[in-house]
Amino acid sequence: MTQSLASDITTGPNQGDFDYSQKRIDDASSQLQVPLKTIDLSVGFSHSTILNEISLSFPKGTITALVGPTGCGKSTFLRTLNRMNDHVRGFWHKGSVVLDDVNIYDKSVDPLVLRRNVGMVFQRPNPFPMSIKDNVVSGVKAHKLAKRKDLLAIAESQLKEVGLYDAIADRMDDSPFRLSGGQQQLLCLARALAVGPEVLLLDEPTASLDPVSTSSVESLISALVPKLTIVIVTHNLAQARRIAQHAAFFFNGELVEHGLAAQVLEDPEHETTAQFVTGRMG
Amino acid sequence: MQATWVFDGRSSTTVSAPGDVLAPSRIDERDSGNGVGQFARNDRPMSILKKVFPKGDTLLVWFCKFLSYLPLLALLGIVGELFFQALPSIKVSGFGFFTTSDWKPGSSYANPISTSGVMHPPGAHFGIVPLIVGTISTSLIAIVIAVPVSIGAAIIIVEKLPAKLSGFLGLSLEVLAGVPSVVFGLWGVLVLGPFLSHHITPFISKHAPNVPVLNIFKGPTGAGEGLLTSGLVLSLMIIPIIASTCRELFRQVPVTAREGARALGMTDYEVVRKVDIPWVSSGIIGASVLGLGRALGETMAVAMISGSVTGTFPANIYSTMSTIAATIVSQLDSALTDSTNFFVSSLAEAGLVLLAMSLMANLFARFLVKRVSGTALPVGRGV
Ligand SMILES: Nc1ncnc2c1ncn2[C@@H]1O[C@H](COP(=O)(O)OP(=O)(O)O)[C@@H](O)[C@H]1O
Ligand SMILES: [Mg+2]
Repeated sequence: MTQSLASDITTGPNQGDFDYSQKRIDDASSQLQVPLKTIDLSVGFSHSTILNEISLSFPKGTITALVGPTGCGKSTFLRTLNRMNDHVRGFWHKGSVVLDDVNIYDKSVDPLVLRRNVGMVFQRPNPFPMSIKDNVVSGVKAHKLAKRKDLLAIAESQLKEVGLYDAIADRMDDSPFRLSGGQQQLLCLARALAVGPEVLLLDEPTASLDPVSTSSVESLISALVPKLTIVIVTHNLAQARRIAQHAAFFFNGELVEHGLAAQVLEDPEHETTAQFVTGRMG
Repeated sequence: MQATWVFDGRSSTTVSAPGDVLAPSRIDERDSGNGVGQFARNDRPMSILKKVFPKGDTLLVWFCKFLSYLPLLALLGIVGELFFQALPSIKVSGFGFFTTSDWKPGSSYANPISTSGVMHPPGAHFGIVPLIVGTISTSLIAIVIAVPVSIGAAIIIVEKLPAKLSGFLGLSLEVLAGVPSVVFGLWGVLVLGPFLSHHITPFISKHAPNVPVLNIFKGPTGAGEGLLTSGLVLSLMIIPIIASTCRELFRQVPVTAREGARALGMTDYEVVRKVDIPWVSSGIIGASVLGLGRALGETMAVAMISGSVTGTFPANIYSTMSTIAATIVSQLDSALTDSTNFFVSSLAEAGLVLLAMSLMANLFARFLVKRVSGTALPVGRGV
């Protein structure tokens, strides 16, 4: 499933360089593999700087929650991890984003293959204007990952994986726009999962959903680890506490604090983090 | 007639199209007397059970109703008058009008003779088939070229170009839409036709494969007047119509949907094909029919470029020919000299046929729109 991003660099599991040592992490997790990390990553648009020298690692097979007040740069950071900002006018970056030992901004990296390995789901469900079935396999088709006759089976198994199949089994050829918001978001997750990513980026995936849909999306996300490595931006601290193992707090483009979720969200070291997680700051 | 395309109430493009029935304009006549004025005048609460119209309001309501039916009345009037004028031709030519290909006004010097009680010059015979073929084939060439070009241009203007340049190009599209057709005709005759016949068409004719369908590109290439030149000029005339409508359509595709496609690792081309175009497909069909309507009915430019040859079918894509509209305009003068009025009557029947053709194009578009929106979605829905 893991595809070499750059043909001339061999990829492989990356042992032991995950450095949380100063963050009071227990022995078991000090041997974590880190498929994705940023090193001194600064990002901006034209003359403005949005993110300042962020170094953050995402341990394999875990959920990392990015929290912080609105406008602190969480989305920008997330979108830098699969080069979605490449399309934005004036975008610049310094430092590196390393996926499986490869800097994804290296010239030898094909952003299209990168995005297959690092999937993304957005705040608002965004199904494509095609049937539900075609939505699920659209990425599979675009990357020619399967034969035409296998597509239906793939669509069905992906929909089963996200728990949507029973509700829509007889509507596979219908428009996705008649589904509820929660169902649409599950469909978008199925679509992102169908191309077999190793990392999944979620930008406030439940922000536009009702509580029931939110909990079904949350339980799906929780079920995706440890198969996948997940980075989730959320403004819902309760959600972060429910599903994340790791957490990072952003403030004004700076990474203030990161580590185990229990520690960052319950017992933070920094005063700003404490203000945020106790609700004393927006 | 004015066709107003309103998508999800957010934005609308107004384009005028001859004979367009896809989205006929109407004056909103609901609830003209809203009672607010009465409340002020009568100084008592408005009754929710009865609507009391003071005299002035009633008059206004009836006047507005009349105005709202005016376009329909005009259409019926035109069709009725055209039919009345065409009656002699319908009586004499009968079905032959739609099955034969001669287009002969007959001898205007000999004494008129009578068929089915209608006087007409001896030797007069009118069969519209080659004109229908000419009309359809020029429009087909125009549409086949204009639709992909317009979609491509609109996509690039909306998505790829910096705002200033795209604004400028959008403006130039609108200017192009306003160029009078006689100017296009002149350009076709003086520039495009000679250029094609000197530099392009001999080459195509020589190298085109001699297989069915593609062999329409073989054979004599003529002097530059004819089917291909007409189709090309028509396509240029309808590109601004289709492209500027498409530009408005593509602007309404939500960024979130496009980003979703990019996030899956789709190429720019795939994003356009899987998201942008399906998102607005029904609108694109509508825009194309607007263009088709213009191409079917375009008169002056085609009359200048087609070669105005009636009575024969085009032998290949370079042949001289004529269309219904071009024939009507170029022959009306001599038709008016026919003392029996039979020639004019035949032209009127040809006009009826043209009207029916654009009506059918519109109905076909409605059918397509319905089919498309079954699997996809109406513009602007969803996100
Ligand atoms: N395309 C852009 N061009 C310029 N500035 C941007 C762009 N996108 C985001 N920003 C700015 O970057 C900052 C961080 O935005 P964002 O990453 O969306 O924050 P968050 O997701 O944490 O709410 C904001 O001040 C925003 O105005
Ligand atoms: Mg955000």
